[in-house]
Amino acid sequence: MSDARHHVIIGSGVAGNQAAETLRARDPDSRITMVTVSRLPFFNRYDLPRVFRGERDWRRFVIYPAEYYRRNRIALRRATKVVAVDSINQTLTLQHKETIHFDTLLVASGARSYLPEELSEYRPLLLGFGAFHEAVQVAETLPKRGHVIMLGGDTIGLDLARTLIELRHRVTLLADDYTFWPHEVSEADRPRYIAALRNMGFEVIEAKERGSLAAVSQGAPGLPARRLVFKDGSELHGDVVMPFFGNVPILDFMIGSGVDIERGLLVRPDLRTTHENIYAAGDNCQIWTDSVRRYCFYHGWKNVRAMGELAARNITGANEAWTPQHDESLRLTADGKILSPFWEYQ
Amino acid sequence: MVVAPAVALSGDASRREACVSDDPRDLGWVRQNIPCQTACPAGTNVPAYIRSIVEEQYGASYEINREANVLPGVLGRICSRPCEAKCRHGWPGNGEAVAICHLKRVAADLKDASHRITERLYSPTGKRVAIVGAGPAGVSAAHDLSLFGHDVVMYEREERPGGMLSYGIPEFRLPRDLLQTELHNVLRLGVQLRTGVAVGNAPGQTPVSKLLAEFDAVLLATGCVHPAPLPLKGEWENADLKDVKGIEYGLDFLVEMHRGVNKTVGRRVAVLGAGFTALDCARVAVRLGAEEVTIHLRTGEEYIPVAPEEIFECKREGIRIKGLRSPMGLQVDASGQLTGVEFAVNRLGGWRESGRRIAIPIEGSEFIEPCDTVIVAIGQQTFNGFSDVPLEVDRWKNVRLGSDGMTSHQGLFAAGDYVSGASTAVQAVGHGREIARRMDAWLMGRERRRQVVRIEPVDLPLRERADDFIPRQHMPTRGLGERKQSMACEVETGYDRQLAREEAKRCYLCNLRYQIDVDRCVYCRACIEVAPRNCIKLVGGVEIGADGSYGKLIETKEWNKVGAIWIDNNECIRCGACFNVCPVKCISISRCELTEVEVGP
Repeated sequence: MSDARHHVIIGSGVAGNQAAETLRARDPDSRITMVTVSRLPFFNRYDLPRVFRGERDWRRFVIYPAEYYRRNRIALRRATKVVAVDSINQTLTLQHKETIHFDTLLVASGARSYLPEELSEYRPLLLGFGAFHEAVQVAETLPKRGHVIMLGGDTIGLDLARTLIELRHRVTLLADDYTFWPHEVSEADRPRYIAALRNMGFEVIEAKERGSLAAVSQGAPGLPARRLVFKDGSELHGDVVMPFFGNVPILDFMIGSGVDIERGLLVRPDLRTTHENIYAAGDNCQIWTDSVRRYCFYHGWKNVRAMGELAARNITGANEAWTPQHDESLRLTADGKILSPFWEYQ
Repeated sequence: MVVAPAVALSGDASRREACVSDDPRDLGWVRQNIPCQTACPAGTNVPAYIRSIVEEQYGASYEINREANVLPGVLGRICSRPCEAKCRHGWPGNGEAVAICHLKRVAADLKDASHRITERLYSPTGKRVAIVGAGPAGVSAAHDLSLFGHDVVMYEREERPGGMLSYGIPEFRLPRDLLQTELHNVLRLGVQLRTGVAVGNAPGQTPVSKLLAEFDAVLLATGCVHPAPLPLKGEWENADLKDVKGIEYGLDFLVEMHRGVNKTVGRRVAVLGAGFTALDCARVAVRLGAEEVTIHLRTGEEYIPVAPEEIFECKREGIRIKGLRSPMGLQVDASGQLTGVEFAVNRLGGWRESGRRIAIPIEGSEFIEPCDTVIVAIGQQTFNGFSDVPLEVDRWKNVRLGSDGMTSHQGLFAAGDYVSGASTAVQAVGHGREIARRMDAWLMGRERRRQVVRIEPVDLPLRERADDFIPRQHMPTRGLGERKQSMACEVETGYDRQLAREEAKRCYLCNLRYQIDVDRCVYCRACIEVAPRNCIKLVGGVEIGADGSYGKLIETKEWNKVGAIWIDNNECIRCGACFNVCPVKCISISRCELTEVEVGP
């Protein structure tokens, strides 16, 4: 039996892969196992709008080929679901009953799209956009120059909408408190940003003006596939309805693990959880931020990647604190368009 | 701890007729292996009533429930479900717990309209008992004391019986006609109910000492209804909040509404608290027209004592839940109207003895949440001032009871939340029942019933392996538009027969004991090979607990040390695979159930 430490990473997104890369560099002899529920290897989620341009081969979205993981001795276990973490015995249990022991664990499981509970009964009528297969499903469902109704309108949704508009689809945004998430736009600035969306080709309906959404149903024969009814009695018809209400951390497997959770895993500035050998990075953790005296989420791929790197550095003894390095504010361009720093990926 | 050689229990594999046993190994087996029943404060025989639902014998299922709990339809709606937290189906790797509570409701709702309740009455004893408080503890005790043959008079200060069931739980969770039916089933035993009669020291009230003089025994079951004060800091510490407009105390808010007071709330409501009362208040506020309702928690959703389904329904109704915050002060305008609550951000600390998480406010992290109504639902305290008979109390001012269930005053007993502090309806029902038994023993000078295990052979496994893969069936609910039309519109609509049967089939039937007859076993290992879990073990011995029950199995892999091949019923999910594969049929199944037998004079 080797003395090498076993670093286990849950999640194979930006944070998890950055952490794995850093761990390999700083702890060359260690064992690294990355467990992900995804069937695809690390792919660029921000590239998913390309699906609407006709690119349907998943291999063209993958960032690291299998050879990368072999070369770096990272055991990538895809389509593998973690169901429980035991912080005392330092093990995690997989859905197929296998148990994996870890010396250090990094939880980088990310987040999934949030659907407000009041809309949960309409889930079968809505199309998501979190995974590759969901993007393909939307692209295949949407007719040429089809009409997409976007609920909420978080940053990911607005990014997709830009592509859809460019491809001459019609996009109607039902704007509410989640519009622009995770950016915080003040009440005073909101009209300017809504105007900018219109300038970019969005049709914007302020949900409150119609008394908010009352029901989603299938469209009548001869009409678009989906029908939305508002509390004021008005209706809206579209081919596809997509919810974009921000994200919620994926942490079901951490319930009962003994690690503190509020909405996300609660971590210290060094990204360590309440358990000495368990760290978290990415959209699933709330970091204690001394300047505002509370636990904060930090979103956007640059922040997430920095968290992955920091967690790995601290796992390997660096003892450094998190400082957000990236401007997360929304910008208005000179020609009256919106630009989010989260859209500037590379 | 004694280590004994592995031998079969008293309900051995060769026995073919039913028997009863008071062997501590059998009693211990039931306690250890039927976690739902052990967790139920009323001791409900959960596997038996669920099995009746599989057989579509809803009336029988209702009767099994009623043996432990006289309010099955009520608790099938509002129980805190300690059984589900312990359900073997919810153990790691087994999936989700069985919807035990929803199935209890099935028994009540789907039983035949002409179903007849069975009650086994003792002869009249001539003893008279007064019960103060007609809440779940009082009603439960009244029922059992009546069965024991005593004449029972219940005193209730409100106009209707039921206590917090009538006044503290909104109708959209508990329909009142159902509650009245189940309460009436108790009264039909001859219990006298005197409503609108307050027991206490004030003029016009009936003193406890008078009851003690008139009755052979008195039971205090007055509950725990005085709101705990909001622990604010700084200028608000110990301040009288009476003059602040916009502050309500959760339970008072609900009680007043159910007394008929026309309650109103502001546009933006903040609910402080983490229990069922807090969630109920928030949902009532939504129905009263509040535009924005937020529940503020000291800890997080994971740590609050409320069923996840209740949390989900709250959120569906548009209620927000925000965690890690402690109220520190209030913000009030010149007219005395509340305009906001000052909170501090919390960090999580350790755990309390009660199992709740500790939250520690962080200095300098204060912030304001604007609101115009605050509903404080952070718990209740016991009130003892009504009794003119001095009673010993503990440091929480809850009354002390002896092992006979009696207070420090001869003939005066107490039960339910009045003893334990604020708890749950099922705990009150269970405690009421337990104290009734002790009162009977005191009144009659001896225990008249004792607990034994009934062991009955079962020919075949009652489940199929496929049943283990049925997902938990969700409770159907009314749409949002419909449920907000009326405070009385019940949100959950209940399982139909098909859903009920699917859910009931998920129950492992933990009351079935699988055993291997070691003398007939040929050690072929076929059962081990087919077992879906590590439930069949080669053992050299078994630990014996202090009470004589079996403890941990001592496994061995050395053949010369194997005393028996043993089915670990704690791991066993009663799939029957071992029984079906055994070539020599040396595996037996017996049903083990707690029951009571008469104790002779």
